[in-house]
Amino acid sequence: MNKVWRITDTGLRPPAQNFALNRALLEARQAGEIPSTLRFLRFTPSALLGYHQSAEQELNLDYCAAHGIAIQRRITGGGAIYMDETQLGWELYLTKRDLGSADMTVIARRICEAAARGISALGVEARYRPRNDIEVGGRKISGTGGAFDGEALMYQGTLLVEFDVEKMLRILRIPAEKLSDKAIASARERVVNLKELLGRVPEAAEVRGHIMEAFAGEFGVEFFAGDLTPPELRRYEAALTEIDSPGWVDLVKKPVSDMPILEAAQKFAGGLLRAAVSFDVEAKRVKQVWFTGDIFVNPRRTVNDLESTLKDIALERLESAVREFFAARQVDMLSLTPRDFVTVVNLAIARADRLSAPQGQDTAA
Amino acid sequence: MADSCNGCEFRPELYYDREFQIWVRLEEGGIVSIGMTDISQTIAGKILHVRVRRPGNRRPAGKPVATIESGKWAGPVPNPFDCVIVDANPEVLDNPRLLNLAPYEAWIARVRPSQALEQALQGLVSGEAAYAGYCGRCRREDIHCERKPG
Repeated sequence: MNKVWRITDTGLRPPAQNFALNRALLEARQAGEIPSTLRFLRFTPSALLGYHQSAEQELNLDYCAAHGIAIQRRITGGGAIYMDETQLGWELYLTKRDLGSADMTVIARRICEAAARGISALGVEARYRPRNDIEVGGRKISGTGGAFDGEALMYQGTLLVEFDVEKMLRILRIPAEKLSDKAIASARERVVNLKELLGRVPEAAEVRGHIMEAFAGEFGVEFFAGDLTPPELRRYEAALTEIDSPGWVDLVKKPVSDMPILEAAQKFAGGLLRAAVSFDVEAKRVKQVWFTGDIFVNPRRTVNDLESTLKDIALERLESAVREFFAARQVDMLSLTPRDFVTVVNLAIARADRLSAPQGQDTAA
Repeated sequence: MADSCNGCEFRPELYYDREFQIWVRLEEGGIVSIGMTDISQTIAGKILHVRVRRPGNRRPAGKPVATIESGKWAGPVPNPFDCVIVDANPEVLDNPRLLNLAPYEAWIARVRPSQALEQALQGLVSGEAAYAGYCGRCRREDIHCERKPG
């Protein structure tokens, strides 16, 4: 007979409650108080930081305040995201015994491939894109991440049912030119949602059913519907006290001046290329790069892919990362060269030295 | 040469928790260092962030002394006994990859156990029993250690 796991739906909640439930269910699974569980959830509008991120460095705090967008810290890692009622969250609470592996990369892949099959059953072709995304036709439809506690782990993902890309961009601390119509249109090409793909908003029950079936098939289990139990609710109350507080949101607090957004532009034979670089001055790491300019690059997604490749890398790795990126693919960009991308990023970073002077100003401020 | 199992380095002079997630080294003045084992750093993969609880904080047994993040996995570095955080390793905070590259040199936190040292160490394993348990976990879970640079 198949093993039996629980399925539960905790409905629409503010992020503090959702993350307190993350903590509560993960602890309860670790303590052996609950069976392995698939949980569905939704969020009221919120800007969600990765566990080790600082709100000041990642978010446009003024925009969030003016638009009633709650700011919260996840218990999982990764980057800041925007969530609201138009996205469905799914989460698995398991033990390493359920998975037969301790390797975190293997575990993430197995869960994401199963989730992609569940999404595909809705009539789209979803695929796992390492490390943490599920995409349809090269466009992201689900982002994922995990947390562990001893033998227990939680893996969570989002599913874009409908989605406001512009709002996602506005909550983030990014260069102003990334909010131009053209840049927003370009960002729209990188994500996709079910409504756009299916021409309708699918019933929530239909989506949940397909995802549940995919996990049931992958792990050889049956699901029973169950509510939260008293031990989970006790742990939830304790976790909520900690998480629903400014102390939790400010757990990591780093000044914007430690991570300025530095900009530079340079005219090359292949055209004018601009780079904005979010740079961790202390650790000498490139957190993120945005390229714009008057350049020709085919295929068009190349620049987006390069930006993804250059996320969170040591400055000393910049040149080899760019070289390896272009060596691995066929790109037509007239007389623009891989070297030009490195040059313009280095020009931007050179401005960090000037910023370290006492009167230094963050260019994004 | 250090002992190893499946390529996972084992240090005979250290104490370990029963799951071999962490190691504990005795320092002077009743202080102990806590770090991640080769097994833990391998399972975690490339470590991007480390956060240590503030010095002076009291941590009950089982609560994390630190948290790590690798890829998009985040999790605790568990604490085997009730203790007060004395110090965090600034080199590791600056460069978390040291945990991958030199797990037994890269201590994460120094702590002072709240009870007597012998009592604190009671829940830990060391010596031959630790080596047997360490190898047992490597084999049972088919863990092969790697020290990936970059």
